[in-house]
This record gives sequence, structure tokens and C-alpha cells, in this order.
Amino acid sequence: MSISDISTSIGNINLSNPFILASGILDENGYTMKRILSEGASAAVTKSIGMEERNGYKPPIVAIDDPIFINAVGLPNPGILNVGEEIKTARESGKPVIGSIFGKDENEFIELAGKMEEYGVSAVELNLSCPHVKGFGSEIGGDPNLVRKIVKGVKGAISKPVWSKLSPNVTNLLDIANAASDSDALVLINTVRGMKIDIYSKKPVLSNKVGGLSGSSIKPVGIRSVYEVKSNMDIPVIGVGGIESGFDAVEYIMAGATAVQIGTAVWKYGRAVFSKVTNELLEFMGSEGYGKIEEFRGIALK
Amino acid sequence: MINSVRILRNEINTPTVNSLYFHWDVRVEPGQFVMTWVPGLSEIPMSLSLTGKEKCLTVKKYGDTSNALSNVKPGERIFFRGPYGKPFSKVRGKTLLVGGGSGMASLRPLIDQDASGVVAARSSDELLFKGLFPIDKIIVATDDGSEGIKGNIVDALREIELEKYEMIYVCGPERMIKSVVDFVAGRNINMELSLERNMKCGVGICDSCSIDGFQLCTDGPTFGLSTVLTMKEFGRTKLAESGKRIWFQ
Ligand SMILES: Cc1cc2nc3c(=O)[nH]c(=O)nc-3n(C[C@H](O)[C@H](O)[C@H](O)COP(=O)(O)O)c2cc1C
Ligand code: FES
Repeated sequence: MSISDISTSIGNINLSNPFILASGILDENGYTMKRILSEGASAAVTKSIGMEERNGYKPPIVAIDDPIFINAVGLPNPGILNVGEEIKTARESGKPVIGSIFGKDENEFIELAGKMEEYGVSAVELNLSCPHVKGFGSEIGGDPNLVRKIVKGVKGAISKPVWSKLSPNVTNLLDIANAASDSDALVLINTVRGMKIDIYSKKPVLSNKVGGLSGSSIKPVGIRSVYEVKSNMDIPVIGVGGIESGFDAVEYIMAGATAVQIGTAVWKYGRAVFSKVTNELLEFMGSEGYGKIEEFRGIALK
Repeated sequence: MINSVRILRNEINTPTVNSLYFHWDVRVEPGQFVMTWVPGLSEIPMSLSLTGKEKCLTVKKYGDTSNALSNVKPGERIFFRGPYGKPFSKVRGKTLLVGGGSGMASLRPLIDQDASGVVAARSSDELLFKGLFPIDKIIVATDDGSEGIKGNIVDALREIELEKYEMIYVCGPERMIKSVVDFVAGRNINMELSLERNMKCGVGICDSCSIDGFQLCTDGPTFGLSTVLTMKEFGRTKLAESGKRIWFQ
């Protein structure tokens, strides 16, 4: 039996497998990204980077009660001027590095995207969806007019592909997805707003109190989001949210995803999760007789 | 999950170090740590300084959170999650435990009849757990010469035939570990080192503790000497809280 082909491409970006490291997980330090890429991720999205250096929130930044995983990291980042070296180190892997950025308005996004392009990223991912930092993220990502302006602005300013990462914390996802339709791809979803209280100390666990729920608890929300957008729009979608196995990825691909991203599963399985999901995907395709990913992409939409 | 247990006693070890004793019915191996939360303040990694039925956290006071923790009274609760991290490997035969600053805290569970110790600190009153070794099995060094050898940990190691130990366990600040690694590089010895870096998540996702793509909180904090020798960032650079790369002086 011949081994299945699990390569995929998003526009002009070719991926050896559909599994991309999601933004915010092990992707501040260039050496870390390089190691994960060498251990099986087909591409890595950097931590979201803003104009200024930010420390993020003080710990606790995670509240964990398996399978519940809530984070409020608070967008720590070294500032756009200090990430060039990290991206350079990561790119020594030979695999695509995608630069994630966040800003408070169109002008900041444009400036950040231009810098990322200079650093040699393969695409820019607009974080329009961080659920727990005031003035950024969801507050922007929930406003279709602002989203349209930012996406148009960045698209007009750089030649590299632009991906827009959207929040599930909105009343009507399709409104926002349509506003972002100039993007080369949509990334669905960011975390879902959530909270954890410790009943013995009688206090919220996260220093920011509210955070973003990720991991297996949000997979159904991610699947629904991808399915809803792919049912209504003709745009490449990258699925993210709760993927822990190759079979979870198949679910996203059947909902129409071109590729997927993995974050929280690194907590359960370590960096080795990338070889695990790759093997599981091959196992599924082998047993179901699929030679290529295209053969079942979006099959559940029909 | 966050564990909350009431402490049995709070022991003063040095002017800046206290030990909190408690029962926690979970298997922990020497070298592992917990993320200790002080509600309203912050959360910090702490090695277990006893790993049997009775557990212990040994707290060095250096900020709000560690100060608050060192003031917890018997009967009051502490909050933590874990245990996390890769333990030291176990060996049969003679061992040498090398602890700088509060480093002896995570080595303490390894103290047995086969263990000898090297304890170094700035001055005599900061030497941690030296009394737990028999007098003929401990070498002490102080920067100010107030006790033992006047000098640093490497000055103490110079006095010892390191090759005769089945395993040498080292714990302390990165700069001290770097000096030990430089001192023994190229020699035929078995050594494991427990490294220290800032940790935010403790579970291998935030990247704040990484060295050369390894996460201290999951791949470490204990590493074999040969791995440490391959690390380009070790002893040279680390990422600040923001993720900005900084160089050690
Ligand atoms: C600790 C942590 C930090 C994150 N930081 C970012 C970030 O900086 N930018 C971003 O777009 N998404 C961030 N995310 C969201 C993830 O990229 C992803 O969308 C989400 O966690 C769902 O996927 P998962 O269940 O595989 O983790 C973060 C998630 C976690 C758990
Ligand atoms: S403390 Fe977060 S990766 Fe180690």
C-alpha cells in the first residue's frame, strides 16, 4: 500500500503536512520555533507582536483543570523592533514562519505587517481576536468596519499573504468573516472567553481574572465556525481550536479547512504532538483509502 | 488542578530562607517542582525539598510572593499545582550534591548515606542545609571567607576528585552552573544539572523558560551534562518577561 500524501498549500505557501504551530504557544524564542519545526510542525506562527515591548500579565497566566485550559498571558512581546533575530533563527529551519501581529488601529497593523515582511515571514497573521486585552483583539475583531479597514490597509501595504484570525466571541461570525474577506485566508478560531474561580482561596485564579478557554473544550466551537464560514464563503480557512489528534484534524478538514493549527495540545503531549498527529492522519487516510487531503476536504459541506 | 493544603510547620533555615512542611499524598520525585500560587500576588516555581510522605517547600525570599509564602503560619493553606518537570535520575553508589545559593533545596531529597555535599553561599549564615550532611562529607565555600573555603563553588570543586562519584547533582543560579560546566567540560564525569529560569506557565507552552528550544519546565529542569554542553543560549542569553532577548553580563 502506498503512503498517503499529506502535503497541502495555502495560496503559494506549501506545507509538508497540515499541522502549523498556533500563535502564542512556544513561539517567542527563535530557537524554540526552530526546534518545533525540526520536530514535525510544517510551519510556525509567532507569538502576536505589537508596536511596543509588553510584559504581559503577572502569573497565574494559566488556569488548568484537565481538560479545561484557560490562559490570560496578556500579549507579552518584545516589540516589533526586537523580533527580527528570533524570526531569522526560526527560519533557519527552512520552513515557513508566519508573523502574527496585533495593534490598536489600521496604521499600527500596517506598520507591523511591513516590518514582518522585512523579517522574511511567509505570511502575516492579523490577530483580530485576543479575548483578554483591552483595546486590542476582540474589541477590534468585533467591529466589522474596523476589521474591513485593517484588512484592506494591510493587503494594500504588503505583498505577502495576509491571514485574519477571528474570534468566536462575537454575535455573528459571518459578519466579521465577510468584513475580512479581502484576506488570503481566515484563521478560525481564537480562544473563547472564560474564567476559573478557586473555591478554597475564593478568588479568580488568573491574575487578569478573565481569560481565553482553549483545548478540547472548544473544538466543537471551532468546527462549527469553520463549517459556517465555508458554507457561506469561498475563502481558504485554517482551522484551530482543540486539535489533539490526527482525527480531530480530519474533522476540521471535512468542515472545509485547508490546514490546521495546534496550540494547547502541546501542554498534553509536548512538542511530540506534531509527530503524533501526523501519524494519526496517515493512519486515517490509509485505512479510509484516501491518497490526498483534497479527497475529503470540505466533504461534510456537501 | 490547584491543590490547597495546610502547612504543619514553618522552619527558619537562614535569614532569607524558610521551609514549609506539609502532607500531600502524591508521588513526587527529587528534582520536580510545583507552581506555587499566593492568591492576590503571583505564582512562582518551587522545587520540592522533601519528596517522601512529608513534603516540603524551601522558600528563598526575594520578592512579594516569596516573602508572603515564607510568612505562612502552621494551619494556614498554601496553593500549588504540579508536580511538574523531569526528575533527577537515580543511581546506585556514591553521589555528590553541589548546591549554590538556595540550590541545595532541590538536592535535599537526594541526601542519603552515599551522598556528600558541596554548599556555597555568599557568607556563613546563608549556607543552606549543610547540617544535613555528616561533618566528614561536606565541603563549604563562602565568598566572604566567613566559613570554609574562601571562594566560589568551583574553588570548592577543585578540592574534590570528581571522577570517583557515580553521579554529581548540581543546582543553583545559571551563572553558577555555567561556571561548574566550564570547569568540568571535557572530563569524564557523570553530572546532572537543575537549571533555573523564569517560568510563567510551568507546563511547556509559554516559552518563557526555554533554552535552545528545550523547555526547562517539561524537558528539565534537570538536564545531563552532555545536553547542557550543546546549549548555545545557556549562560549567555535568555528572554525577559516580555520575550526580549537579553545578554548575561
Ligand atoms: C497560552 C496561549 C497563548 C496564546 N497567545 C495567542 C497570541 O498571542 N495570538 C493569537 O492569535 N492567539 C493566541 N492564542 C490562541 C491560540 O493560537 C489558539 O487560537 C487557541 O488556543 C485555540 O487552539 P488550541 O485549542 O489548539 O490551543 C494563545 C493560546 C494560548 C493557550
Ligand atoms: S514556563 Fe512556560 S514553557 Fe516553561
